[in-house]
Amino acid sequence: MNFEFTQEQQLLHDSVARFVKERYDLEKRRKLADSTLGWSEAHWRTMADLGWLALPFAEADGGFGGSQIETMILMGEFGKGLVLEPYLASIVMGGGAVRRGATRALKERLVPTVVDGSVRLAFAYAEEQARFDLEDVITHARPNGDGFVLNGHKSVVLNAQSADHIVVSARTSGGQVDLHGITLFLVDAKADGVTVEGYATVDGLQAAEVKLKDVRVPAERMLGKPDSGYEILNAVANDAMLALGAEAVGAMEILYKDTVEYTQQRVQFDHPLADFQVLQHRMVEMFMEYELCRSLLYRATMETAHGSPDASRTVHALKHLVGRASTFVGENAVQLHGGMGVTEELRIGHYFKRLLVIDSQFGNADHHLMKFAA
Amino acid sequence: MDIELSPTDLEFQQDVRTFLAESAYKPGQNYMQWRTRWFEAAAAKGGWDVPKWPAEFGGPGWSPTQHYIWERETADANLPFDLPFGIGMLAPILMAYGSKAQQDRFLPDIRARKVNWCQGYSEPGAGSDLAGLKTKAELASDGTHYTVNGTKIWTTMAHMADWIFCLTRTSDSGRKQEGITFLLFPMKQPGIEVKPIITLGGSHSVNMVHITDVKVPVENRIGEEGQGWTYAKGLLQHERTGLAGISRSLVALEKLKEQAETVRRGNGTLMDEAAFRAKVAALEVDLMALEFTELRSLASASAGAAPGPESSILKLKGTEIQQRIAKLTVEAGGIYSAAWGARVVGPRFAHGGMQSYLASRAYTIYGGASEVQKDVIAKNVLGIRSTRK
Repeated sequence: MNFEFTQEQQLLHDSVARFVKERYDLEKRRKLADSTLGWSEAHWRTMADLGWLALPFAEADGGFGGSQIETMILMGEFGKGLVLEPYLASIVMGGGAVRRGATRALKERLVPTVVDGSVRLAFAYAEEQARFDLEDVITHARPNGDGFVLNGHKSVVLNAQSADHIVVSARTSGGQVDLHGITLFLVDAKADGVTVEGYATVDGLQAAEVKLKDVRVPAERMLGKPDSGYEILNAVANDAMLALGAEAVGAMEILYKDTVEYTQQRVQFDHPLADFQVLQHRMVEMFMEYELCRSLLYRATMETAHGSPDASRTVHALKHLVGRASTFVGENAVQLHGGMGVTEELRIGHYFKRLLVIDSQFGNADHHLMKFAA
Repeated sequence: MDIELSPTDLEFQQDVRTFLAESAYKPGQNYMQWRTRWFEAAAAKGGWDVPKWPAEFGGPGWSPTQHYIWERETADANLPFDLPFGIGMLAPILMAYGSKAQQDRFLPDIRARKVNWCQGYSEPGAGSDLAGLKTKAELASDGTHYTVNGTKIWTTMAHMADWIFCLTRTSDSGRKQEGITFLLFPMKQPGIEVKPIITLGGSHSVNMVHITDVKVPVENRIGEEGQGWTYAKGLLQHERTGLAGISRSLVALEKLKEQAETVRRGNGTLMDEAAFRAKVAALEVDLMALEFTELRSLASASAGAAPGPESSILKLKGTEIQQRIAKLTVEAGGIYSAAWGARVVGPRFAHGGMQSYLASRAYTIYGGASEVQKDVIAKNVLGIRSTRK
């Protein structure tokens, strides 16, 4: 049992922390979020130069062979700055599906362009009727000549508007909610029949509705074996939930610390707010929730990295706790900042909004509590 | 004790329903014309345009039960747009503490919705601790007017207001509650600058108001100099009771259930999911209890008694319930609650749900933060005399 970072992990942590400190504050982030792209090409190149985009890919494929632990370190620091670049979409999710499912030839072609930042990926798993169930898939792929023809509608696809390729889950056999019969495809975002309708999300990020109409996909762009896509889908979702959990823990750290600082400065009734015991206790509760989330994050991440059989159950526990704690920490950070807490001027609200979106991704607190209890 | 409505009350309920049905907005109508006619028609019913005003000032003089019926019947009706500041906040103060001349000057325009008012209470340094306000009003040596300087914050609709009712400091000696004076002055004049504050929901309704060397004639002072706190305090109690929003929550909860029933889950809907269903049920239980708490409060008021201890919890619990309903709407929207902007993505109800939830976070802050409300209850209702903070 060891909770210390290795020297390389510590270096990674320090380098990401420095990036966030130098490149991100509320004003800079607001400008980026309001830009057409919604994030910074320059930052993305920096991330490529520093090797972050290569982290989870195998060394044989041109990556650094990092595990979920390295992603956790990086996403935790991203959470403190509410980083906008499509790391989760392109590297953790899109990249996660490619490195698990692409053929050797496809990987050789694609991975170098993903890790150098020139090609971006997105991951389209959600559909309206499915709510949070990965296996509920109506979008379908029919064999056609040397490949497949895809039809369907994928919802709230993170960063799809800036993606070159979109990983799509589609049904190739079985009923609407069968685990078996789902296949993953790497769809060219520019292919005929692909429509990407983008919009902003409340946290300042970008998502899109992706509509597929008779989209031809060559067989070599199938990820994994036909009908067996669920396994990859589930593994990518687990990685994404760990990454989101890390990001949320980083965001919660900012929220509780900002609140502790603010209440010591703000004077009402001739006392700093922090003099009032009821507020002290509230902040202690926020801190405890945050620490418990961090513990469960470490547990779920290490279990997953070590391939423990209980790992996915712990990921459910994590996503539940993070959702519950995020609401508590976020709502109380706003409450204790009073009127200022509900304005766009303070960063508090922006962290809160990101946490709300994180709860809605890959299943909310209730969903994962039921999965955990099942 | 009797839970049934009397025949007279049932008749009144029918009367309200008929009126609401007949006066409802019809598609294609000019909105502002309809609005004017609606208030005229309500006035013709005998003060229905100002339901809470006492009969001597032209209100309907309803019994608490009639008020309750009106609240319930109008909660889901599409009433014309109306702001509470003049009708609900300033008017009761004018009636209680204003001179006859002030009542004659201001009440008719308030009632006719001709003049929009805003409330100048909070300041950057005076939020929960409202009595700590510093906006200065200095009486001229000839005693004809005050000169006002200072900054107000969270001033709802200041950018649309014609007039402001404003708490100012006229004395720094003694208890801080004792040097506060209640002034009225026009917003559209040099020396008043309104700056928008954008809130988390992305909207603009609150503002910062800078007041520089604004002259206010003494005849625009309500009551005595230095007594403004006493006047405002009565109003705050009034404002807080009104903020519970129980009727609207009852409607919102029903809407939430309908929305959740449109979210398919397997062979059922989201309402069949144990965790979600339990949260909705818990809300319903709390709301049933709060509804009767409000009725007890109304009943004691009708008997002419001072508001009982039960009325102190209405704002606290009512706003929490509004927030919980808004949060469940966000949860029901699932991934679609994240979508932002004009475009509708996913189910129609998910659009705007996040915005409502974010806006609802202010409910436990404005009109007396929940923490301050609890202090007040501990002191005034439980009678706890604290020796330390």
